[in-house]
Amino acid sequence: MVTTISRPETPQVMPDTVKLPAPTAWPIILAFGIALLFAGLVTSASVSILGAILFVTGCVGWFRDVLPHEKEETVEVKPEVTVIATSRREVERLPIAPDLPRALLPLETYPVSAGIKGGLAGSVAMAVLACLYGFLKQRSIWYPINLLAATGYAQSLKIGTAWLDGFHLGSFSLALAIHLFTSLLVGLLYGAMLPMFPRRPIFLGGIVAPILWTGLLHSILGLINPLLDERIDWPWFIASQFAFGIVAGLVVARLAPVRTRQLVPFLMRAGIEAPGWTKEKPGKDEPR
Amino acid sequence: MASETLALDTIAQGTRPIADRLHAWVVTVDHKRLGILYIIYGLVFLVIGGIEATIIRIQLIVPHNHFVSPQVFNRMFTMHGTTMIFFVIMPILFGFGTYLIPLAIGTRDMAFPRLNAFSFWLTAFGGALLYFSFIGGNGLYGAGNAPDVGWFAYAPLTSRAFSPGHSTDFWTLGLLVSGFGSIGTAVNFVTTILCMRCPGMTLGKMPLLAWLNLIMGGMVILAISPLTAAQIMLSIDRYLGGHFFDTQAGGSAVLWMHFFWIFGHPEVYILVIPAFAFASEIIPVFSRKPIFGYPVMVAATICIGFISFSVWAHHMFTVGMSSYGNTFFTMTTMIIAVPTGIKIFNWIGTMWGGKIQFKAPMLFCIGFLFQFLIAGLTGIMLGASPFNWQLGNSYFVVAHFHYVIVGAILFTIFGAFYYWFPKMSGRMYSETLAKWHFWLFFIGFHLTFDFMHIPGILGMPRRIYTYEPGRGWEIWNLIVTVGVIFQIAGVLVFVFNVLRSLVKGGTAGNDPWDAWTLEWSTSSPPPEYNFAKIPAVRSRRPLWDIKHPEDPDWKYE
Amino acid sequence: MSSEAFAQPSIEPEWVLPSRGRVGMFSLIAAEAAIFTIFVVAYIFYTGKSLSGPMPRDVLDLPIFNTVCLLSSSLTIHLAVKALRNAKVGAFGLWWFVTIALGAIFLAGTGREWQRLIFEKGLTISTNLFGTTYYSLVGLHAFHVIVGLIALSLGMIFTFLGKVKPEHSERLDILSLYWHFVDAVWVIVFTVVYVVGR
Repeated sequence: MVTTISRPETPQVMPDTVKLPAPTAWPIILAFGIALLFAGLVTSASVSILGAILFVTGCVGWFRDVLPHEKEETVEVKPEVTVIATSRREVERLPIAPDLPRALLPLETYPVSAGIKGGLAGSVAMAVLACLYGFLKQRSIWYPINLLAATGYAQSLKIGTAWLDGFHLGSFSLALAIHLFTSLLVGLLYGAMLPMFPRRPIFLGGIVAPILWTGLLHSILGLINPLLDERIDWPWFIASQFAFGIVAGLVVARLAPVRTRQLVPFLMRAGIEAPGWTKEKPGKDEPR
Repeated sequence: MASETLALDTIAQGTRPIADRLHAWVVTVDHKRLGILYIIYGLVFLVIGGIEATIIRIQLIVPHNHFVSPQVFNRMFTMHGTTMIFFVIMPILFGFGTYLIPLAIGTRDMAFPRLNAFSFWLTAFGGALLYFSFIGGNGLYGAGNAPDVGWFAYAPLTSRAFSPGHSTDFWTLGLLVSGFGSIGTAVNFVTTILCMRCPGMTLGKMPLLAWLNLIMGGMVILAISPLTAAQIMLSIDRYLGGHFFDTQAGGSAVLWMHFFWIFGHPEVYILVIPAFAFASEIIPVFSRKPIFGYPVMVAATICIGFISFSVWAHHMFTVGMSSYGNTFFTMTTMIIAVPTGIKIFNWIGTMWGGKIQFKAPMLFCIGFLFQFLIAGLTGIMLGASPFNWQLGNSYFVVAHFHYVIVGAILFTIFGAFYYWFPKMSGRMYSETLAKWHFWLFFIGFHLTFDFMHIPGILGMPRRIYTYEPGRGWEIWNLIVTVGVIFQIAGVLVFVFNVLRSLVKGGTAGNDPWDAWTLEWSTSSPPPEYNFAKIPAVRSRRPLWDIKHPEDPDWKYE
Repeated sequence: MSSEAFAQPSIEPEWVLPSRGRVGMFSLIAAEAAIFTIFVVAYIFYTGKSLSGPMPRDVLDLPIFNTVCLLSSSLTIHLAVKALRNAKVGAFGLWWFVTIALGAIFLAGTGREWQRLIFEKGLTISTNLFGTTYYSLVGLHAFHVIVGLIALSLGMIFTFLGKVKPEHSERLDILSLYWHFVDAVWVIVFTVVYVVGR
């Protein structure tokens, strides 16, 4: 059984002496020798020669210090009583998990599947709205799809509007891949983050985050890709972002959160009914 | 500090003549004495490097100034940079590491005590060799020519043709010698932390100080060695007529840049990771809460360690690279901000809901948090290659990296100094003076380095000797130099506080901060053997377990 | 309080830490490997960039015999340490001596090669980029061989004096790590200089 260091109530047997490595001058001589060896390169050869002599002496001396046995000196232990105690006896707990003495945060989270489901649902909502926009404004549901693909393949923007209105298999698959990948990622992020948002997670995730994201994109897209920027219809853009955020948020929030693994004491993990433990517990949650 | 421990020795062993006492310091292999030697050495060079910085700032206070000659100015910025990185920050950080690691992991000394002494003396003699150039170095301008090629010594300026004499060799050899010392110390750190932990201290129960110094040690081993290799190549070029960086024989000046920065950028993290370690020890204690997200802190630091080896060429955007190179190094630079951001959130998470005590160490750490955030943000700006093309090699860059090195690293060093001063000396410092130090230095820092960004944006290049009036740079340079006065005043208060406390400071006691790591369980200053009986630990906060036997940490770890 | 006493495991597992010498040696090897990496990168970067001759393919011969000697010395030092661990001091001394001899043959071979290059082929470190990178990379390796040979010879002297005991096998094993590293570096140097770079 290990007793931790010098508790006041358990006096320990202290050793009388301790062996420590003996002081030695060889390291400094060796270091000086090396420094002189190099210093000779910028001064004169005699300095290097002196350095070499010191170097060899230092090596030999050091070698004799450690072989066959390391030189040690014996130091007497000063008798003293070290008391380790604190005047701060009270322990206050952050009011997060009253039933747990220690908690790993977050206490609850959504399963990964919730994030995936949310992301997929959001992606459908977004796609529907985007295609609606294409149909109403451009008379072509392929137009927004080609625009999305243009984020990866910028040359297509230079070809012209007629091309953007048509169906192109490469463009379609690229857009689909980008759309699904991003949707899944954002969905997973929602699943991980929604429980951490303090209030109105749907409002934060569905409205505030899209506004921030669109604002960022609106301000920098003109610099990154001016051709694409010209073709973006921002009211529709933000509407589709809202659609994604709200649908994904709702789907995620509808699913039941799961509790994260908590580090509970050994006794609780072992499932042992220990009266001492349970008796002690009630007093601990209130500040004493 | 030195005199203090000496004084205690004197009590213990009877009065001894000064020569004997000095001799005891020279031949010592005790990690505590060597740590103190490192720190004193670093502080002496801090003053020297500070004087050089002051000369630079006085020269730039008004346009067309002639406070020093252009030649001296070149030497000043070269020596200022080299000194501050290699002979101030690194020795001080190594000093704290050497002093604290064995205490924090509950052992009696480093793994290789003699190597420890050897490494310190190598660093010390390396610095002495570098500074000998002020007397003995002959160069382009005759004798007494200190190195003047800038702290990263780009080729071909360092070739024999452009840098005759020996001034550049002093730079190379001084850093080579001290580099051997750094590698020795790093080997010692890694070995000590892996092989000397007290019973029960598994890797997951080490204090963050030990973890972060372990990572730092590994990085020193992998990053200083390339510098050593590059220095050897440069010496081959200069002494044996080699052609490594000789463009006329097909060599490449850009290769030197790559070699220098493959050392240079990890070096930034080598310097800042121990600063993180200090903050990770100080912030929990003064927030009265355990560190938030311990495993994530470790993981983030390991990530930083790895990624920092893949960002070096963001120092070279203006040199010209392929668009793939630019993209890659921009991306890695952005990515390294992620683990760094995680750490900042964790420190804030530690403070959140805590009972924060605004003592001097905590003040410096809070200053560090915000300043490091700003430094990181300007770092991301500079990491974007198009932005870098605009502002590379301007005063904006100078302001950015001083924000890291002064605003983050030096601030935490001061915090660490106040935090562990009672342990090292047994005396308590004056809190009032420490607060004066903090506020003076804080104001000075922000006057100098906040306003230094602006002339950079206005186009002022770094390292210029003087400038024309009428470019809108005058007022900013004036403010920047005025800030230096406040910084000097702060440092003077600090020095006075240290000296006064050594003589008149009250007894600190073993555990003045009511802290939780092992160094606070032994007396202040610790006896030669650190712990009469090697402790055994069961959690990350062994002293908490003892102080709160009814609610120990080990039940949950 | 009863719970605390109950929860304390009654048998603590034995506290085992890695060996100091081994970790220290591996750290040193990591540092050396980083230095060699930079030199190797420089060699590869400058391959074929010399503006004037002689070129590698004109002057370099494959040092097969040397390579075989050096690489087999890795095996002999392993056998030596193994013998010492089994308390066979005589066998240890023999294998240790063979290791030193093989290392010395390698060094002599490098010396002969350099002599030929300098005096017959006129290639020095300042002749061209190839000379600079070749002599610095191979020279750095040769320097490590020399350091290793000095350390091994010290071990030999102590063997002759009869001071080497089986309990020293751990220390000599750590020394052998360094020798293995020197050999491993040669594999890379050989590949880069004599195979790829030629």
